[in-house]
Amino acid sequence: MKLLMLSSMLVASAAGAIAEKVVVQYDCIPNYANWGGVTAAYATETGVRIPPDMKGSSAAMAALEAEKANPQADCAYYSGAIGYQAALKGLHQPYKPAGWEKLSDSLKDPDGKWWTVHSAYIAFIVNKAALMGKPVPQSFADLLKPDYKGMVVYDDPTILGTGFTYVYGMNAIMKGGPDMDAGFSYLKKLNTNILNYAKDTVYNDVLRGEIPIWINADGNGLKMKYVDKGDIEVVIPSEGTITMPLVMGMVNGAPHPEETKKYLDWCLGDKAQKLMAQSFFRPVMKINLGSELSKQFLPESAYAKAVNLPLSEMATKADAVKQRWSKEVNAK
Amino acid sequence: MRGLLLSLPLALMIGLLLLYPLTTLFWGSVASAGAISIHSYIELFRDDYYRTALLHSFLLSAVVAFISTFLCLAPAWLFANEEFAGKRLVRALYTLPMSFSGIIVGFLAVIMLGRIGVVPQLFEKATGSNYLSGSAYQLVGLVLAYLYFEIPRATLTLESALRKFDPQLSLAARSLGAGITQRIRLVILPLIWRPLVSTFAVTLTVSLGSFGVALIISKRFSLLPLEIYRAITGYGNKSMMAAMAITLVLLAFIINYSVRNWTLGATEKA
Amino acid sequence: MRRRRAVSFAMIAAHAVTWVLLIVITAPVLVVLAGAFFNTSFLGLASEQWATGNDRTFLTSSWFGYVFHIYGGSLAFSLGLAFLCVGACILISVPAAYAIVRTHSLRSRMLEELALLPLSVPGIAMSIGLIQAYSIVRGQWWLILCGHLLYTMPLMMRVLTSALRSSETARLEVAAESLGASWRQRFLFVVIPNLRHSIIVGSLLVFAISWGEFNVSFLLNTPLHQTFPAALYATYTGNSFAVSSAATTIFLAVVVPALLALQWIGGGEFTRLEQPA
Repeated sequence: MKLLMLSSMLVASAAGAIAEKVVVQYDCIPNYANWGGVTAAYATETGVRIPPDMKGSSAAMAALEAEKANPQADCAYYSGAIGYQAALKGLHQPYKPAGWEKLSDSLKDPDGKWWTVHSAYIAFIVNKAALMGKPVPQSFADLLKPDYKGMVVYDDPTILGTGFTYVYGMNAIMKGGPDMDAGFSYLKKLNTNILNYAKDTVYNDVLRGEIPIWINADGNGLKMKYVDKGDIEVVIPSEGTITMPLVMGMVNGAPHPEETKKYLDWCLGDKAQKLMAQSFFRPVMKINLGSELSKQFLPESAYAKAVNLPLSEMATKADAVKQRWSKEVNAK
Repeated sequence: MRGLLLSLPLALMIGLLLLYPLTTLFWGSVASAGAISIHSYIELFRDDYYRTALLHSFLLSAVVAFISTFLCLAPAWLFANEEFAGKRLVRALYTLPMSFSGIIVGFLAVIMLGRIGVVPQLFEKATGSNYLSGSAYQLVGLVLAYLYFEIPRATLTLESALRKFDPQLSLAARSLGAGITQRIRLVILPLIWRPLVSTFAVTLTVSLGSFGVALIISKRFSLLPLEIYRAITGYGNKSMMAAMAITLVLLAFIINYSVRNWTLGATEKA
Repeated sequence: MRRRRAVSFAMIAAHAVTWVLLIVITAPVLVVLAGAFFNTSFLGLASEQWATGNDRTFLTSSWFGYVFHIYGGSLAFSLGLAFLCVGACILISVPAAYAIVRTHSLRSRMLEELALLPLSVPGIAMSIGLIQAYSIVRGQWWLILCGHLLYTMPLMMRVLTSALRSSETARLEVAAESLGASWRQRFLFVVIPNLRHSIIVGSLLVFAISWGEFNVSFLLNTPLHQTFPAALYATYTGNSFAVSSAATTIFLAVVVPALLALQWIGGGEFTRLEQPA
């Protein structure tokens, strides 16, 4: 029995307490924006481990809030509005990573409580094989057709940031006013065709054909198409799309501050930015992507009708929008 | 004194890990801004959204408990009273899903009955059309997945009860001229009625608390554990979350203890 | 004659239901095993190339290698948890079960009731209770252990108390007492040796449950101390079928031997588990 205890102690300590350098990043989903590749490269380069974390933006913010007294995370990654909201809630400490001055003012907080690392656009990611012969939808109007009943998925905006950006932005695409009614009226109609409001990433479900249409960041779809060689089409809806800056911030009371700062600096460096671009998220820094990779991105003209949403307004209205969505869309 | 000392670690553990957290949870559900109110509970029962989740949870669990109780009478009877080749292995295989956490069951449901699941793919190869494609995400998939993890629980609970049942009684009744319906009604049913009810209760409470299965496959069907999960992970009303959790705990308690008292009471009378 | 046919018809039906259910139980498991070892590309694409740069050969040669590479830490952590759980359950339950069975007081009856109580508390409720009550130590790995103890202790207690109640131990103890053995001697040299079989049954149960427990393991999981069930969930949502299958196969490879051993040594009747799924 003593032997058993001893061995188990060993196993437990092997798993947990070894003195190894780590930085904890909330919302570090390996298949989103190539975080898997980015963290793997950082580990090889520096020996610092950044464990994968499956929380979405809002979940990351909720966790940071719950752990305020005893922070577990060093930094977090969000879709822009939620990062802004987390900063408003006082969950971040100011830090200006290397390369900060190169970012345009709309892409960072003046105090350094958040800054953009890359951006994406909301798109339809369509698995053509899973459509079972139906045409690829080209517009938000198409998506409402009964053809697509039970085929459409977007992320639960109360948990995932991409879903929130989409739900919030729908109103602007429908040319709605500040009451957001136009957006919500569309989302309510779309509700009948929805298979699921995803609570976690459904990257592989889409790739495998379990989900035919996913409203998500264009980069994820392009990665499925070019990197995973899936039968995928990425459609920018004809009515327009939404620009989504994706931001990072350093957590207030981060347990490993020095390592974190080095890591955050590195994330804006050429190597990290290039790795992110390999997942088709547009790097915030101007770097040379090489002609092959740049060709695989959709042409700029596809995004002519993209809307830029003011993050400050999105952040202040976030809780109300999430609540309204829960009641008016999800509950039906 | 000695007894107290020996059981002290257990008592401490129960106090610190069971009673204290449950009290905190309860406190969280009633305390709002320094005052005590049962507002969250009122909303839970009044608000359509939460009430539906509660109702769904209860109905789904009841349906699954009912089906598994009756379906599992067959294997339970065989394990308890019959001998056949490979019985030990079959019985071991029956216990297999018991150690599967809900997410594994959900994953199995998706690979078997998903849109490109094994079953629809086989149908497509055999008949040309993919029957049952995507059924994992519909109500039938949810029921089947819940059944999957209830089968071993129901079978083993029933088996231990049926083992005490003496088949001679039924044989005796038959030799006295009782027909099969008479025997079931007058001999078998009175004897296995109580185990049936307690199996129903056990499976019902397990289903009520199950969370992993629904996390993977429940798409549009709201269930109380899922709503609790949404409230912890994302945006959510924390006192509502606590109220939902406490309601779940109370439901499980009431079912378990009322059924137990009832079966105990019936035993004493008999 | 008619009656006999009715009975055999019932038997045939019972056999039919039993075998159909057996197929339902085992078929998905077989598909998973196949997915882990063979190319089941008809079930969909993979997307794991990021793990080892762009070197795909490593991946196609072994999905298991991929799982060990990425989730090896959580595998070791969960195994360690399960072993620690077994050790702690033995240390706490054996004396407590003995005390409860041998003292006939209201207090000991209540304690026994309370010890079995966690089995009827839904895991998700218990997990958020633990999170809220101990938010100050959130992120500590032993909080997950505490949650596991809560759900495994009742099983150990049930095995031990029923053994203590039904076995010869009581008579042997009286004999030992009449020969002048102190209670400490009786406990160590009469009770514990007689409980050996039950302790083994209980340990296997505790191990299996701790290994498979999802609610606490998932909700109290932190990035630095990831449990294997949380890793499993991550493979289900973020990885391809082949990787999910390999991870599930590893899960099965640990728990199936424990379950088979339970059947083998005759602890089958205790595998009636009411803990949340």
